Amino acid sequence: MNTKKKMGMLQRRKMVGWFFLIPGVALILALSFYPAIRALITSFKTGTGVNMTWCGLSNYIRIFQDKVFLQSIKNCFFYLIIQVPVMLIMGMVLATLLNNPKLRCKGLFRTAIFLPCATSLVAYAIIFRSLFATDGFINMLLVKIGILENGYNFLAHPTSAKIVIIIALIWRWTGYNMVFYLAGLQNIEYSVYEAAKIDGANPFQIFFKITVPLLKPTILMTAIMSTNGTLQLFDESVNLTQGGPANASITMSHYIFNKAFQGVPNFGYTSAMSFIILIMVAVLALVQMKVGEQRD
Amino acid sequence: MKRKVLAVLLSAAMAFSMTACGGGASGGESSKEASTQENANELTVWAWDKAFNIYSIEEAEKIYQKENPDFDLNVVEVSWEDMQTQLSTILSSGDYSQLPDILLMQDFAYQKYAMTYQDLFTDLTDSGIDFSQFSEGKLKTSVVDGKNYGVPFDNGTEVAAYRIDLLEQAGYTVDDLTDIDWDKFIEIGKDVLDKTGYSLFSTQAKSSDIIMQMVQSAGGSIWKEDGTPNFVGNKVLEKSMDVYKELFDTGVMTTANSWDEYIATFTSGKALGAINGCWILASVESAEDTAGNWRVTNMPSLPGIEGATNYSNQGGATWAITTNCKNVEMAEDFFAKTFAGSTELYDTILPGAGALSTWIPAGESEVYSEPQEFYGGQPVFELITEYASKTPAFDVGVYFTEANDALAVAATNICSGADVESELKNAEDTVSFNMGN
Amino acid sequence: MTNKSTKIISYAFLIVVSLLSIFPLVWMIIAATNKSVDVVAGKLTFGGQLLENYRNLMASQDVWRFFWNSAKYAVITTILSLLVCSLAGYAFEIYRDKVKDVIFVIILMTMMLPFVALMVPLFQMFSSMNLLNSTLGFLLPSISTPFLIMMFRTAAKSFPEEIIEAARIDGLSELGIFFRMFMPTMKSTYAAAMTITFMNAWNNYLWPKVIMTKSASQTMPMMISSLTSGYTTDYGMLMLAVLITTLPTAIVFFILQKNFAEGITGAVK
Repeated sequence: MNTKKKMGMLQRRKMVGWFFLIPGVALILALSFYPAIRALITSFKTGTGVNMTWCGLSNYIRIFQDKVFLQSIKNCFFYLIIQVPVMLIMGMVLATLLNNPKLRCKGLFRTAIFLPCATSLVAYAIIFRSLFATDGFINMLLVKIGILENGYNFLAHPTSAKIVIIIALIWRWTGYNMVFYLAGLQNIEYSVYEAAKIDGANPFQIFFKITVPLLKPTILMTAIMSTNGTLQLFDESVNLTQGGPANASITMSHYIFNKAFQGVPNFGYTSAMSFIILIMVAVLALVQMKVGEQRD
Repeated sequence: MKRKVLAVLLSAAMAFSMTACGGGASGGESSKEASTQENANELTVWAWDKAFNIYSIEEAEKIYQKENPDFDLNVVEVSWEDMQTQLSTILSSGDYSQLPDILLMQDFAYQKYAMTYQDLFTDLTDSGIDFSQFSEGKLKTSVVDGKNYGVPFDNGTEVAAYRIDLLEQAGYTVDDLTDIDWDKFIEIGKDVLDKTGYSLFSTQAKSSDIIMQMVQSAGGSIWKEDGTPNFVGNKVLEKSMDVYKELFDTGVMTTANSWDEYIATFTSGKALGAINGCWILASVESAEDTAGNWRVTNMPSLPGIEGATNYSNQGGATWAITTNCKNVEMAEDFFAKTFAGSTELYDTILPGAGALSTWIPAGESEVYSEPQEFYGGQPVFELITEYASKTPAFDVGVYFTEANDALAVAATNICSGADVESELKNAEDTVSFNMGN
Repeated sequence: MTNKSTKIISYAFLIVVSLLSIFPLVWMIIAATNKSVDVVAGKLTFGGQLLENYRNLMASQDVWRFFWNSAKYAVITTILSLLVCSLAGYAFEIYRDKVKDVIFVIILMTMMLPFVALMVPLFQMFSSMNLLNSTLGFLLPSISTPFLIMMFRTAAKSFPEEIIEAARIDGLSELGIFFRMFMPTMKSTYAAAMTITFMNAWNNYLWPKVIMTKSASQTMPMMISSLTSGYTTDYGMLMLAVLITTLPTAIVFFILQKNFAEGITGAVK
């Protein structure tokens, strides 16, 4: 009798769980999953407009002959490897500092550090470009300290253009990621820190031994999100460097967008390239999840 | 307390979702209603640039309304970038009913849309619009297989504008820069740079516009007869690349990394001139404190090329009637009586927006010969109209954007030391690759 | 390291980072008061052009209508999105089973496909359902996002099992537990999610520009795009427009960030 009742309860709970899921899941299935399948079908076709014909795998084969797209893959991974770790660690450090209840002006600091991701792209592109211009502030500074003799045109050289993009990305998204850590940190009781402090732990020990392990689910989430964001990077490439010089800083999404809307459009090919991005992000996310679980 | 907050939040959410759905449904309905009840005399127009294109067509609307009081235009401001996204999406989805009645199209993209989507533009050949009154080079843009698919609008004739106060410091006048070739230009430029520290003009690093302008000025083409790229062994293009590299190396031309930086180079920066389509003059004039110090002249010509001229073109746009137009006859009549038939219109929009006509009869109007104070009393519009009549025609082709990108990459690499021939080969391969499939 | 020196270092670090962060915003404010020529020249002092820029902007664009459109879309999206996604994220974690885990992975995968690939099929769907130029058309694709679901699932991982058990014994329904226990406990997560959803909806650009083909339904980011696409750009006016576009997100964040201060224990008690 008792067990039967319990079974019934479990069944009901399972049903409730599904009921909770339905609105969100149905929307995604209808508005992302279904069009994605349609896009997948398109990726095996070629042509323009509505007159598309089947072409088998030729779009996917074409990708490996497309020098610009291959360059854009390299660029995206360069951004990913350098920018994501730096940004996530910075975000965590800032969140930890701002989580201190004794800190004054917390609200102001938090808002200030969050602001970059809310700042209009148009404005920040102009200002970053002017900061790094040949006669801009950064060059003035470097010449004054004696690192450079003459102004250097950062955006006109392949490596420095990519570095400017990375700096801009870190500037723009650190505060954004900090918000998740701040929210995550609220689930750790502050008394844990106090206890650790009394035990004589230094700030670094506290950070690595307490903060990082407790934030692990959030770290995993931000890592997946940032990987996804970086491999689909678009704004900075378009607005800061316009992909230049000579495609040295172009991203995959930027190239796909150009192919879809600027030149003669071929949605078959752009869909195929999009699925290459999906595969890359999915593999990386899987690795991250596995690594995340292992340390459990 | 908490419960109350929650209750408020929840009910707010409910209320909002109700209005959201309600709003959505009614939005859908009203748009449907609108399309059935819609005034058959109201045409929708997509265009960009409020101060220029939109201003011009609204002036045309006013003129046309005098005789047709029922006529109405509903102009939607859509940036060119956004319009390309919308057009590509709509055309690829096959739902042409979402297209406007009339749209403005960049000249360099006209052939692309006309050839790629052959049922996008209405054939205007027998519409009663007199196309013979438009300048030939401009008209070529919107003609496919001998049929007219557009009404030419503004003029992008190449001008060179220089600060004479700065030129004077180096001992030159604007006449020294008129009717010359690039060799002479570079010679003077080096001297000016030495004496004043100013470059003669600037370009945007990411585009190959100036190179295209050089090719056009010499009557060259970047396409072969069959539409494939003509880069390797193209004398005119090779010469243009050489000139570009020398301009870059000597510092006679400075490069800017973006459009705003480009504008800054000649309004407040290290360039004393601008060489571009005549619409650039509006940006030149934004440097109000330099009024009176500017002069307009023609661009340098390519040296050693037969048939090279000092005239070219950059930009400009053309009006198109889409196949979704609900009242083609009226739209045709509107254009025939305004952009292709009203000196009054051009007399209004020239001083109002600096919109120069490609409709030849408009150039005879007195408004065109008026002296412009900003340029020390030069009759700038008359000059430009004269240049326009001497500009060689240019075939932009279907794959212009691809060619422009590839040549910009080549130009960047050539400036950092790469070999012209091999870079042109690479660029040609890139364009051929994009055309394949 | 003494307590005091740690404190000084933290403050110094935070001040430097904050200054770097707000510099472009400050520059934007300065630029909004200057003439176009001065803006592109990189002038760093206030000018007297603010009123003039404001008048020009108001004369050329229907700013408040676009502002109202953006605000309407952003507020409705945020509320619906939080409700739908937090329910789903909570359910994925609390009522976890094998099937749900598979669905979760599928959902996550849809996030990894660039939106460009989805645009044409989505447009076809919305056009055939007559949803172009409607609020619902704008909202639908952004209500349920894999990202928010994942965020709430992550948050639910730290929601103590004991609370749920205790509440069940007290006779609370499953929905009741969600609304009366989970929601208040996760205040900081909701605050973070709210800020970010609001910001994303406010700045949403690619989708609206495809489906909003009428002047009346356009949004702020589309207006900014229009301002930069002419033969000449008035940068002073443009900066004022982007300033107006930036402020709402900043204000929303400033109001909500207080919620990051309360720990989980405070909320449960």
